[in-house]
Amino acid sequence: MKMAALCSEFGNLVQIKKQLISVISLSKERGLLHSSKWASELAFALDRLPKDELPPSHPFTEEDAQDLDALTLAKSYFDLKEYDRAAYFLKGCCSQKAYFLYMYSRYLSGEKKKDDETVDSLGPLEKGQVRNEALRELRVELSKKHNAGELDGFTLYLYGVVLRKLDLLKEAVEVFVEAIHTLPLHWGAWLELSNLVTNIEMLKSLSLPDCWIKDFFMAHMYTELQMIKEALQKYQNLIEAGFSKSTYIISQIAVAYHNIRDIDQALALFNELREQDPYRIDNMDTFSNLLYVKSMKPELSYLAHNLVEIDKYRVETCCVIGNYYSLRSQHEKAALYFQRALKLNPRCLGAWTLMGHEYMEMKNTSAAIQAYRHAIEVNKRDYRAWYGLGQTYEILKMPFYCLYYYRKAHQLRPNDSRMLVALGESYEKLTQQLEAKKCYWRAYSVGDVEKMALLKLAKLHEQLNESDDAAQCYMLYIQDIFSCGEQLEHAEVSTALRYLGQYYFKNKLYDEASLCAQRCCDYNDAREEGKALLRQISQVRDQIETPSADVFAPLSNNNTPARRVSPLNLISFTP
Amino acid sequence: MASVHESLYFNPMMTNGVVHANVFGIKDWVTPYKISVLALLYDMTASKTTLPERRRLNKLILPLQQGPDLTLGQFLKTVEECCPQTAYAVKQRLQEMADGELKDMEYFFSTLPTPFTAFDSEAYKTSVVGLFMRHMLLAYNKLSFSQVYKLYKSLQLYYHSHYAKPADGRVSLPALVADDSDMDLTSTEDTVGDRIDREELDTPLHESELRNDNTPSSGPLSQKQAEYFLARQAYLLKNDENKALKPAALQEELNNMLKFNPDFAEAHYLNYLNSMRVQDIFLSAHCLLHYFDRLILSGNEGKSNGDEGYGRSLRYAALNLASLHCRFGHYQQADLALQEAIRIAQESNDHVCLQHCLSWLYTLEQMKGSDSTVLTEDSVKMAAHFCLPYLASLGIQSLVQQGATQGKTAHKLMDALKDTDILHWKHSLSELIEISLAQTTSIWRMYGKSTMALQQAQLLLNMSSLEQVNFGVQQNNTEAFAVALCHLAELHAEQGLYCAVSDILQHLKEQFPPHSQHAKLWMLCDLKIQFDRHMNEGKYHLAEPLVTAISALNKTEGLYRKAQVLKALNRSTEAYSVLQRLQVHCERTKCTEVVIRVMLSTAELHWESCGFSTALPLLLQALALARQHHLQSLASETILHLAFTQLMLGVPEHALSVLHEAIEPVLAHGSVMDKGRALLLTARCQMAVAGFRPNGQGQADFHLAGLAVDTLNEAAGYFSKLNCKERLRDVHYLQALLHRSLGQTSHCHKSAMLFRLLDQELQSPAPPVSMRL
Repeated sequence: MKMAALCSEFGNLVQIKKQLISVISLSKERGLLHSSKWASELAFALDRLPKDELPPSHPFTEEDAQDLDALTLAKSYFDLKEYDRAAYFLKGCCSQKAYFLYMYSRYLSGEKKKDDETVDSLGPLEKGQVRNEALRELRVELSKKHNAGELDGFTLYLYGVVLRKLDLLKEAVEVFVEAIHTLPLHWGAWLELSNLVTNIEMLKSLSLPDCWIKDFFMAHMYTELQMIKEALQKYQNLIEAGFSKSTYIISQIAVAYHNIRDIDQALALFNELREQDPYRIDNMDTFSNLLYVKSMKPELSYLAHNLVEIDKYRVETCCVIGNYYSLRSQHEKAALYFQRALKLNPRCLGAWTLMGHEYMEMKNTSAAIQAYRHAIEVNKRDYRAWYGLGQTYEILKMPFYCLYYYRKAHQLRPNDSRMLVALGESYEKLTQQLEAKKCYWRAYSVGDVEKMALLKLAKLHEQLNESDDAAQCYMLYIQDIFSCGEQLEHAEVSTALRYLGQYYFKNKLYDEASLCAQRCCDYNDAREEGKALLRQISQVRDQIETPSADVFAPLSNNNTPARRVSPLNLISFTP
Repeated sequence: MASVHESLYFNPMMTNGVVHANVFGIKDWVTPYKISVLALLYDMTASKTTLPERRRLNKLILPLQQGPDLTLGQFLKTVEECCPQTAYAVKQRLQEMADGELKDMEYFFSTLPTPFTAFDSEAYKTSVVGLFMRHMLLAYNKLSFSQVYKLYKSLQLYYHSHYAKPADGRVSLPALVADDSDMDLTSTEDTVGDRIDREELDTPLHESELRNDNTPSSGPLSQKQAEYFLARQAYLLKNDENKALKPAALQEELNNMLKFNPDFAEAHYLNYLNSMRVQDIFLSAHCLLHYFDRLILSGNEGKSNGDEGYGRSLRYAALNLASLHCRFGHYQQADLALQEAIRIAQESNDHVCLQHCLSWLYTLEQMKGSDSTVLTEDSVKMAAHFCLPYLASLGIQSLVQQGATQGKTAHKLMDALKDTDILHWKHSLSELIEISLAQTTSIWRMYGKSTMALQQAQLLLNMSSLEQVNFGVQQNNTEAFAVALCHLAELHAEQGLYCAVSDILQHLKEQFPPHSQHAKLWMLCDLKIQFDRHMNEGKYHLAEPLVTAISALNKTEGLYRKAQVLKALNRSTEAYSVLQRLQVHCERTKCTEVVIRVMLSTAELHWESCGFSTALPLLLQALALARQHHLQSLASETILHLAFTQLMLGVPEHALSVLHEAIEPVLAHGSVMDKGRALLLTARCQMAVAGFRPNGQGQADFHLAGLAVDTLNEAAGYFSKLNCKERLRDVHYLQALLHRSLGQTSHCHKSAMLFRLLDQELQSPAPPVSMRL
């Protein structure tokens, strides 16, 4: 039913296109570049309109005509980033458009000055306290107008931004919702709102206008809140509704796949994206992460060179180059490029964490700790930084100390097996086998990425002489390895087979034992043992061939432990 | 998602991806306050002043240079008190700059005597003043154009905010408003400490309040101010928590500070201390780890000690984590952390750190309740070897404590304590001196020498600490003080001086608020005193609810008290089972004191079932134990029990001779209750020897009877002090009997009347007089 509603909503793509075209011109006039970029991208994905269908330009009021000259002058100053100058000439204008540009110039001027001030502070402790001085005045003026109900959609959005910058988050959310109701097509307001929504309950409690753009927002929100399944569903619906050509949606889906570590899907989408939009730089750092994980050197190198040609002073470009160098094990250079990315944008979270990883590779633990701590400062919920800190202390051989960090990371990503395995390893080092077992089992239960948890669990059981449990784990491990299909470098199938062979032999299940022993012979490191076991089995079988065998056969069956592992059907798993 | 707005994100302060707050490596920054100090120095060299004024000004220079920034008002006031003339000159100079233009400030800096040229002046480059001037000149010359302009603006604000007096200094300065609030490094809101006067200046500048509590804490502090603030709060937390900021307020300050400068490692540490104060395990663990993460960073900067500084902080990080878990009672976690610290310390051959670990290890073992004597002895030996007197004597003190409970002879313990005391005084380890005194108090009390205990406790409380007194606070919230005060309270309670007790407890409550670390000590002490009091007065129903509270604080003690209440309420079976459980538990944990007390209580239970002969072996065993451990008060108590048993078994002569042994120590050291009970028992033995029968038959020895009357009178005095009516009733009954047989009718009537009154008041049927001690 929902689907149907969606289709009817999107049925009129022409109408949507018209709305988009009109909002593009509106945001352009006001200098809201990102919003107009977003809308333009989306409009581009829709079919062209015939000439007579194009929406008429906005009606020109008396006030607009009055302010026309001042507005044109100010807009050109604004475009040249002379904000104070623009604000000066707009003072006293009465049209809504001019008022917005006036306020917006003042806001941006304050922001620019703030950034300049950070350089010139007078003391170390002054550093963090540079504020945008315009904010307070803007708030006072805007709230007066807000109470009088004189704000239009764009000005409401600006008011919300001012409130957010002043850390008045609750009020900001209210104002953004109001702004969205007044002007649903302004994507910037939605995006600002998305930054303020912290959980799903809050999202549900918001009253949002029923507009087609809401679906884009919800999909975006689901991605942010790590509800990837719902997000993918939403995006799929949007594609089916007619936005199949939108690069925005493709990139968002790719990011979503990246978040759930579905690497192949994400890679395919990114490749498609690059075909459609070869000069795109946004999201390319995510793409490079994927290539890095897959160790696809040539592709990563190509991407890096390509991006450098487009624009080498972009954060994304620097991150891609950093990844490239890291993959080539040139960690110093990699760190250098992450540093450059941070110079371009100190609040770029990913770069801090990646730089931490590089320092780890260079064995510069203190620098790594510093980088990770910075990442945590930017975003407390960055699980990779916590995990990285844990790894750093693990390298420093402090297993108890790193527990805290791994736990923190686990808290943020409860269903990520890597944290659980790391936790388990630390517990194992501390000889807390019980905890370690719990961690490994949980890691397997939530879907082990690296396929290591079971092996470790089995070895742990082996150490503790819990042979039944160990055999069970090895069995699951073998099933797991073969069912995933691909060949893993660190797979220790031979170890598992060797153990299972011995286990069955001890429990007098000779058929299974000989099967395992035969499989052992497929692996170089276990061949000799496999053969030896086969010999032993045949010896024992010769002895059993005596007449008394019939008498003992049922007895020995009864003797087997109750929790005995069912014989392994290895044939079905043969690669 | 990046912000939608275009922002300029370029920060040249970053090198190697790290934001360096201190671009030029300068520790000092020129602030308006510093300019005022410079002006003062300049005027001092220029003008001629009289000798006393000059002397006073000279005395002022160092605190002014090193202290936190003051407002202009404070600054001028301090200078004025030394020399009004100079103050006026300084003011004039500042006014010239503030009301003039930027060039006036530039001119001022260019006219300052250069420390490199002025050979004969006080500002020569190696002098304190010269160094300061050089720093300032260097810092000033490094400033960029816009920074100089900013400095000038803040100087104007600094000057005008002092002279524009109206409530809001900014109203009258519209020209400056636009740019003021990020200059408020020294604006009025921050440094309100305006209580500097001369006496306090003679001592360091510390008395000035850093900031008022009621002003909104908005602006940041300067580096010096922040450091000073942290140092002061940390010191107060350690020495007198009540004088420090309230936990919530302190947290707010710290958050504020960390918001402006997250690299400030020490602030994280104070945050940790503050969270410990409110027993917040999550926050304190978080802050501790954060602190060490930050410390590792800063430790790496000083490359002079190479890898050492960095590895060192790692070891101590693990050790601190262990202590944190220990404090919260997570012994297993603490153990793991400690092992980690030990391993790292071993790998890097850090014996000092290892030694610290070892002393924590035995502490941990002790807390877990296992025997750690061997470990402790090792620790002491090693500490002595590595010349760590603090750890060595801490170990010895711990050994003494263990030895005391395990029955080491008194002279050995006292010898050990005396030896460590010599060590303490030699190294001025005031904290250990206090512990040692508190420990001696406890040991004396355990041996039952109340006078000695009292004397030691008083000694500790009246001793002035060796530690330097900072911020007007003497260290007096250590565990040692709490212990001594608790002993004092209990000693007073034993003598029935409840008024004094409540005074002492009140003081304890103020000094150690309920959430603090040592509060449990006085809580237990308070409960025990209340319990004893109710028991003495026979209000068992009031004593019963206290048992639960006591068990929450100390399980063993709680069980023992429970048994006592049950026994008093005649629920003997339950009491017996509790006592049995307790005895098993205490024999395992080697808690001899309680074992003996349990034995005595069990013997009392036997009396109730008239099993006097079964009680005898138990009592003899208890007596042997008490003597072996030199527990004098318990030994005399046991003797009283023995005597009573003998009396009941019909051998009062023996009882009387046994009693003679105990009566002296009881009268000398015992509590009022013990004294009364001992005298009552003596009187009864005397009566029995004199030939009295319960029914008043038979011929009595009048001399002995007269003695018994005196003894009873004395006992009555003690019991009435404690308001112990039941025993008072017994005394009056016996008195009446005696008087009658002696033919003193009027006395007899009086006693009988008193008995009758009490009997009516008590209402409960009198238990047979004979059946209890």
